[in-house]
Amino acid sequence: MSDAEHTGTGTGDAAAEDPAAYVQQVMAEIAEEVRLRRASGDLPPRLERELDELFLAHSPIGVRGGDLSEALRLVDAATFIDPVVPVESERAAGAAVKKGMRTMLLWYVGWVTHQMSQSASAVSRALHIVDDHLKELERRIEAQRVPDAPIVEFPTSVAPGAWWVEPALAALAKAPGRVLHAACGDGWLVRRIVDSGVDAYGIDPRAPVVDAAELGAVDLRDEHVTEHLRAVAAAGLGGVVLSATVEGMAGGERTHLLAAIGTRLAPGGTLVIHSVGRGTWEAADAPYGADLAPGRPLRPETWCRLLEDSGYSATAQPGPDGSDFLVTAVRSGLTPYEQREPGIR
Amino acid sequence: MTTAAGRPVAVHQFLPALNPHDATGTHTLKLRDVLRAAGWRSDIFAEAVHEDLAAEAYKHWAYPEHAADGDVAVYQFTTSSAVAPFLAEQGLPLILDFHNFTSPELFAGWEPGNVTRAALAADDLALLAPEAILGLARSAYSEQTLRHAGCRRTTVTPALADYARVTANPDPRVAAELRERRAADGGADILFVGRVVPSKAQHELVKALWTYRRLYDPVARLHLVGGTSSYAYSKALYDYVEDLGLASAVRLTGEVSDAALAAYYEQADVFLSLSVHEGFGVPLVEAMTAGLPIVARGAGAGAVTQTVRDAALVLESGDPAYVAAALHRVCTDDVLRRTLADNGRHRAAELQGEKVGHEFVEAIAGVVGRP
Repeated sequence: MSDAEHTGTGTGDAAAEDPAAYVQQVMAEIAEEVRLRRASGDLPPRLERELDELFLAHSPIGVRGGDLSEALRLVDAATFIDPVVPVESERAAGAAVKKGMRTMLLWYVGWVTHQMSQSASAVSRALHIVDDHLKELERRIEAQRVPDAPIVEFPTSVAPGAWWVEPALAALAKAPGRVLHAACGDGWLVRRIVDSGVDAYGIDPRAPVVDAAELGAVDLRDEHVTEHLRAVAAAGLGGVVLSATVEGMAGGERTHLLAAIGTRLAPGGTLVIHSVGRGTWEAADAPYGADLAPGRPLRPETWCRLLEDSGYSATAQPGPDGSDFLVTAVRSGLTPYEQREPGIR
Repeated sequence: MTTAAGRPVAVHQFLPALNPHDATGTHTLKLRDVLRAAGWRSDIFAEAVHEDLAAEAYKHWAYPEHAADGDVAVYQFTTSSAVAPFLAEQGLPLILDFHNFTSPELFAGWEPGNVTRAALAADDLALLAPEAILGLARSAYSEQTLRHAGCRRTTVTPALADYARVTANPDPRVAAELRERRAADGGADILFVGRVVPSKAQHELVKALWTYRRLYDPVARLHLVGGTSSYAYSKALYDYVEDLGLASAVRLTGEVSDAALAAYYEQADVFLSLSVHEGFGVPLVEAMTAGLPIVARGAGAGAVTQTVRDAALVLESGDPAYVAAALHRVCTDDVLRRTLADNGRHRAAELQGEKVGHEFVEAIAGVVGRP
């Protein structure tokens, strides 16, 4: 064990008087230590992702989301079962004995392995047919695919001086864990959250924006929110902020995003959504991304209903000029899915 | 309550498998002794019985030969089993002693067989819970699962375990080896005890060790004690350890004897759990009994926070930066170590001893009457 660094009498007295308060103080100091470590560059933003990717590389195809073709290559490679077992031996007579046994048993083992190989080949052929059908279906679906929503930033409403920043910070003040800001841009809001004493990091699919950001004390990564959430542990987040993210989403993408957040957000965690209203979205001076997006903004009332149906307690706050709004929602202990399926936790 | 023949009511136990050195097996044998001491007749019936315990139990299908009026069944629910539909057919007053089970999605992609088994366990629970006259859960977390499954009357009772095994007679050879390695290299010894399966997230422990070594203690070691029921996960874990250059720092021991386990608890500096599913967490109580400070993931980890209460640094996630900082603090702050160890011994005392057996007797007597 390393040399003790926290052994002062004063510390011991404080712990003896109120152990719970001392542990709480330690947790706060650990959070500060992590912040300082990140700020010093000891833990580059890419590092954790690289560690995760390295483990995924060793995981089965189903875990790392590999495709059917890759799985079929493995099936094909394992289809033939070789009845001629190796006979090498470290003992002098071992190889001869093994070879004799192999010769005697080959008629039996060969008959069994031949049938197993035939069975495996039949399964492999069937899987290839399924793969061909799936590829054809994918080709047809691709032609009708609804594109993912782009990040659409309205410069006046997604900026450091925006009216909703303070209410968002207040809502996140007691987040039970790290806060994720999706579409974080250069990290302006992440810095504000960190400055308020809450550990936070940001992701943004616009790599040039993230690359150009001054990292300093903040942890920013160039990732899409849905892909990023796949790598986050269940209940691993204390808060999520979505800005310039959800307005243009189609129903399916929005549903997937909310489902992913629902499992990654810890009980009591906070979801903050900033969105422009439909008038702003459809205005003549709206960013061109608004035209290209597959969906359109939901009304604040709809967000509240949607989130409450998903196990949150939600409130909406309109902006001063009615052009945008903020929704804050706190996740309950159990998701509705968990409440419906009590055996599944 | 007695039968017409004047014999005390029998409270028999049923379970999927009775194994030695297994939390459920130990619990079942101890509960049998508690029930008999209270005056009930009590035998054990299992789908599978380990040969070392052949004299302790009957096969479940042999129960009709032993059946008598007034019998009550206690089902040790751990996984899917032919015992569940068998009990449903018997129509006995049923008490579910619920140890929880790993949910199917935690095995998804790793072990198709385990996914199916876990899904069938959910079906078994849905079959039995609404019929049970009482549900005994290891934790409030598991109690919630029981209630959602339709169990109308529930209570929380800790596991009956042999915690003395983690302090009695540490294997001197294992202890000496651990001591000598630390004397030679320095660095902290981090311990986790549990089966090597995806839900215990040993890969996150390895990730945390790598980060801890990078930031604080370049020669720290991780000991992963426990067998496996997932070859795919174990292999991925081995390969991950190799790729990170941690082969000499991470030891996967497999199953160990009680004495070796005691040596690991004795020699470790900290117990680290980043498990994402614990119905109770017997190793957490073992660590507390051994006076070992604990760092654990709390959110999304099932009953961990309920089991450890104030005896651990409970983290909201497995974020390696936080885990590394917490490990560093526990390994360098004597006051914190003492505080956590004291809290742990106190908490462990609440979860063991004769009073736990008494809680079972009271709970069961509350629904079937006293023997």
